[in-house]
Amino acid sequence: MVVIATLLAALLLPAVSAAREYLQLFVTEPYLQLHTGPGRGYPVFHAVPRDESVDVLFRRTDWFKVRTEHGVEGWASQADMLKTVLADGSPFKFELGDQAGFSSHRYELGVFAGEYGGANLISAYWSLSLNPQMALELTGGQFLGRFANGETGDLGLTHVIAADSRWSPLLMLGVGIAHIEPKGTLVTPSNRTEQTAYVGGGIRYYLTRRFFMRAEYKAHYIFTKRNENEAADEWKLGFGFFF
Amino acid sequence: METGIRVLLLTAALALLPGCATVRGWFHGKHGGSNPEAQASTPGSAAPGAADEGTPPPRVIEPQVERRTIKVPHIASRNVELGLFYGALSIEDFGTNADYGVTAAYHITEDFFFQGEAGRSRAGKTSFETLGGNIQLLTEAERRFTYYDLSLGYNFLPGEAFIGRGIAMTSAFYLLGGFGATDFAGDTKFTVNFGGGYRVVPTDWLALHVTVQDHVFQSSLLGVTKLTNNLEARMGATVFF
Repeated sequence: MVVIATLLAALLLPAVSAAREYLQLFVTEPYLQLHTGPGRGYPVFHAVPRDESVDVLFRRTDWFKVRTEHGVEGWASQADMLKTVLADGSPFKFELGDQAGFSSHRYELGVFAGEYGGANLISAYWSLSLNPQMALELTGGQFLGRFANGETGDLGLTHVIAADSRWSPLLMLGVGIAHIEPKGTLVTPSNRTEQTAYVGGGIRYYLTRRFFMRAEYKAHYIFTKRNENEAADEWKLGFGFFF
Repeated sequence: METGIRVLLLTAALALLPGCATVRGWFHGKHGGSNPEAQASTPGSAAPGAADEGTPPPRVIEPQVERRTIKVPHIASRNVELGLFYGALSIEDFGTNADYGVTAAYHITEDFFFQGEAGRSRAGKTSFETLGGNIQLLTEAERRFTYYDLSLGYNFLPGEAFIGRGIAMTSAFYLLGGFGATDFAGDTKFTVNFGGGYRVVPTDWLALHVTVQDHVFQSSLLGVTKLTNNLEARMGATVFF
């Protein structure tokens, strides 16, 4: 119980942060509409007239929580906020979750379901884009099969061949580890952890907003401590988002 | 003819003179002499339109005002939701027991979010074990039920909840669907989960949840291979970051 209370306190502390400096933006359109919640369906309850300013408190998805000069707090859409200006008159620019952002972004997160050496596979990946064409990717997976369970971890580079288009082929190369826990009814072989290397290819398709789909194949080479190395095919389909 | 050669030689000599060390002083001395004058004339505006072309034009006003630069503060994005939950999990054939765990979610758009969760519970006894007296199907360690899953959530019915006249909180019913793994009875099984929940957000940083989910996996623990449904109902609190 004490642990949970400490955890909760640790969770709450950053949320109750001290006073901070907010970005001030000026309305240039006839008015800026404020909604009661961060969604298109929430009703408009306030309008900030032209030339007045708002302080941007924080952002949640494509909505900005703002406070007017009179202390009214509400949610403004990203599309409306992009029509405001900074104090020096320059337009407020913001990174959008659209196809242009998809072509050039910094991080990706995604999940996959598929098959690894005949077993069911669940995996997730995180990617850091070095440039629009090249990304460093870290993948973790768990495979669950009739003959063995285990985990895999991969670190490698992914080359996006056509970063600007909706469809793009991918090429992958990297190294990893595989922890294999064989199942046996009569004789249970011991668990083992092996080094691996992979080469692969795939395809990604931009869906909408911040989403895309990804399908890929990786050929894994498992360097065993025995005389023969093993190979495992990995097929998977998943979705990801960028930020 | 002779005069022509004399002119040529004289011209060559004159052309070479500036390069000669002894004569350098003539030209440089002359420039050096004019320099102090030029320096003297720069600070003030004493000689407007001075004939000397080497001096820069006099400055009328010294600009002392620094240009105002606007620092754009970073806008905090609060799309990450972390929290704890506590509830009840009905493990098929093994009774209903308390379960607890952690969730982490990332809100991608106003409609969709991505959620990862991990939970733990403990299986009770099957009817067979209860009726059979001393029979134990599973060891104590094997009764531990641990699961994790990765889900996609859809804010199905966003809205607002009210308490009296003064308090309005944003809320949403959401649908969840995903896959993961369950570690139970000495084996780890590929598990599909689906369900729904209700989220109410009383402040900008806190959210309260009620969630109902089914965790489905294939089990051959009791002799026949079958899909088991493990229903979970729980309450949770999450904090937005």
